[in-house]
Amino acid sequence: MMISRSLRHVVLALIVFIWIVPFVALITTSLRSEVASKTAGFWTAFTPTELGHSFRTHEKGQMNDTKVISGNIFERLNKDTSNFPVSGTVNSILFKGRIPDPNDPTKTVLIRKLVPAGEIMDVRGGDFVFETNGNFTWTFPELSTPKPKKLDAFIKQNPVFGDDAYIEVLFENKNVPNALISSFIVTIPATIIPITIAAFAAYAFAWMSFPGRDWLFVIVVSLMVVPTQLAFLPILQGFSGIASWATQLKQWLTDCELTNSCEVASKSFASLWITHTAFAMPLAIYLLRNYIVNLPKELLQSARIDGANHLQIFTKIIVPLSVPALASFSIFQFLWVWNDLIVALYIGPNNATDKVFPIRLQNQLGTFKDQLHLLNASAVISMIIPVIVFLSMQRYFIRGLLAGSVKGG
Amino acid sequence: MHSIRPVIAGNGLAILLTIVFLLPTTAVFAFVASAPIDDLFAEIGVWFHQNYQWKLDEFDTIERFTKIGFALRAIIISVGISFLYFWISNWLNHGLARIRSKGSIGKQSLVIESIQPWIFVGPALTLLILFLLIPAFATLSLSFQEADGTPTVRNYAFLWDPSALGYVQFRLAMRNSLMWLILVPTCCITLGLLIAVLADSVRWGIIAKTIIFVPLAISFVGAAIIWRNIFAGGGIEAQQTINGLTPSYQIGLLKSILGHPPSYNEPLYNLKFWGNFFLMWILVWVQTGFAMVIFSAALRGVPQDTIEAATIDGASPYQMFFRIKLPQIYSTVVVVWTTLIVLVLKMFDIPYALSANDDDKLLLATMMENARNNWSIGGDNVDNLFASIAIMLMLTVIPNMAFNAWRIRREQKEIGH
Repeated sequence: MMISRSLRHVVLALIVFIWIVPFVALITTSLRSEVASKTAGFWTAFTPTELGHSFRTHEKGQMNDTKVISGNIFERLNKDTSNFPVSGTVNSILFKGRIPDPNDPTKTVLIRKLVPAGEIMDVRGGDFVFETNGNFTWTFPELSTPKPKKLDAFIKQNPVFGDDAYIEVLFENKNVPNALISSFIVTIPATIIPITIAAFAAYAFAWMSFPGRDWLFVIVVSLMVVPTQLAFLPILQGFSGIASWATQLKQWLTDCELTNSCEVASKSFASLWITHTAFAMPLAIYLLRNYIVNLPKELLQSARIDGANHLQIFTKIIVPLSVPALASFSIFQFLWVWNDLIVALYIGPNNATDKVFPIRLQNQLGTFKDQLHLLNASAVISMIIPVIVFLSMQRYFIRGLLAGSVKGG
Repeated sequence: MHSIRPVIAGNGLAILLTIVFLLPTTAVFAFVASAPIDDLFAEIGVWFHQNYQWKLDEFDTIERFTKIGFALRAIIISVGISFLYFWISNWLNHGLARIRSKGSIGKQSLVIESIQPWIFVGPALTLLILFLLIPAFATLSLSFQEADGTPTVRNYAFLWDPSALGYVQFRLAMRNSLMWLILVPTCCITLGLLIAVLADSVRWGIIAKTIIFVPLAISFVGAAIIWRNIFAGGGIEAQQTINGLTPSYQIGLLKSILGHPPSYNEPLYNLKFWGNFFLMWILVWVQTGFAMVIFSAALRGVPQDTIEAATIDGASPYQMFFRIKLPQIYSTVVVVWTTLIVLVLKMFDIPYALSANDDDKLLLATMMENARNNWSIGGDNVDNLFASIAIMLMLTVIPNMAFNAWRIRREQKEIGH
């Protein structure tokens, strides 16, 4: 029994570990420098890791008629990129140059080799020596004006993190802020409108009597599993029909021809709102109706006797009592719309400034292929809002999940 | 009753026409009238730009603030219109009934009562008919047409004709769908059950559950980016190592664990055939939390007396789980299973994000997208081909849909509503 108990801890810890590692990878990569993020895996970011760096011995025209040039490799490396300062120990420098050919003394051969600290190497006729702490001296036999030399140093680098990627995607790159705003434009109405419409319908299905009510309800709910892909093309054709009609109307009503702005886009935020609203109906009506139908019937009856009409009953009694169900569906819908790629791809706006976040991320998988720190930072930004909403309203979300799939009541 | 039918019909029609005319007009008018708000926001942006050190240049600032202004009024107007509908139609219903059936209060309320339900369910039903039912049938008819409208079965030729467009792709998509269908729900349910059981028996279970649960809030594309760090291959610099002298590293954790050299930078999810399993794993990672939460609740709902009886009879933990608890949550397992099956059949984002055009990784939904973009060989027939694949997707979902409808109907009967 004791063994079994500790085994439980180990197995669960292992699973949790597997679940966490990708998050660690995401956040670590987003906090690294561009070079580090695309050179070495995220797990090397926590320990000193040998990476290659290029530095110039000095600036052009900085040194005149001198015999000794001295400096520090780390100072040279950090003079520009101060946000990810390089520190650590210099292991070696790559020597690229000609040495006399051991087989044929009249010729030279081109060699590349790693020169360790303390060993003299011949750079432009001078003796170049460096120490592991980065100090170097470059000694010439006579007064000279050497040109700066670019050298590759291999440095066992200490861990360094910074928020540069976030600054860049949020303030220098236009796409991420635009995607963020677009996602809000799409998500907020596409959450509130379906809840409003579905709550009224759910109230009618629960507490009003009209012919065909039960069958209509079954049909509505069974539409829940119809793949939305089935509807995309006709919806798109419908919207382009409306758009061309609206274009003509605009031409007729306004002087848009002068500014060449008559075109009404068929794929727009409005088409996304309506489509998301329609696609959300079956689940929303199902969840809300099952909640509303279980509210005490006496409330309705006494309100009817007091002369309240249905709209008053709905707004004064049903809505306040249904807050938990409304909250759980609104989280569902918020997460679903915020994270949706396929509906936005087919129905949503496709110009660069109006793309929603998942489409932007999908594009960035290509454009930021070599800037993994930016890709990961952008992904983190896209996740912050849904994760906060999700964690803070977890209780309602779970309740909705359970109502939706465990039982019908 | 008979005498008020015309009144009901007349009032209903009047309300419908008013709404159909009034709401779009109001929406357009509100948008046009509120346009100056964008300029106001642009000016605020310029003011900020001038008074603070913005990294954005002025043009972009104006663009950004205009967009925020647009966002605000778009949200307010769209939400306002949907509230307006219910308010106006309710008001009209009462007003019209009062005007047209003067005197008889009973008649009035009868008219109101018969129209009111349709005002409430009207928008929902209209949307469902316009955006799900009619399009579904339109897609069906589109799939049996040439681009010019003549009837044909050519769009389905990929089912039997090896020379038809999409023959190979369809087979690969079906093969992959089958693998996804078997593996993803099985893994999610097994892992979900395991975690639910384990987490309920340790003190830090709630933390473990929260962590397993979080991926549910993340988009599939986000999940793809997250797992790219684990599955993708060597970095740029790593490939350009100088004569093998410089140190080089893998970018992907799993590839590093598998011992792949940095120069071998093929992502694991691009591997022929085996790549599918890495894509599946991403979905398992996202959806296990869903299975876990539901099983966790269901297990807690298992009647305590059955557990006590089993304990008295000396059941081992394994017997307790497999003989007592699991049979009692069996229906929950089935529900989770069907939910996951529908999710898998409609899966699009993960393969689309990571291996968009690779035939070897196709699923039906990604095959549809490919049909639209890549196979424009049959002239303007792409849309029809798209429709026929959509129908195939629907056919795979139908057994599930029938099962769900049956289940819901049965539940309604049990509850007695």
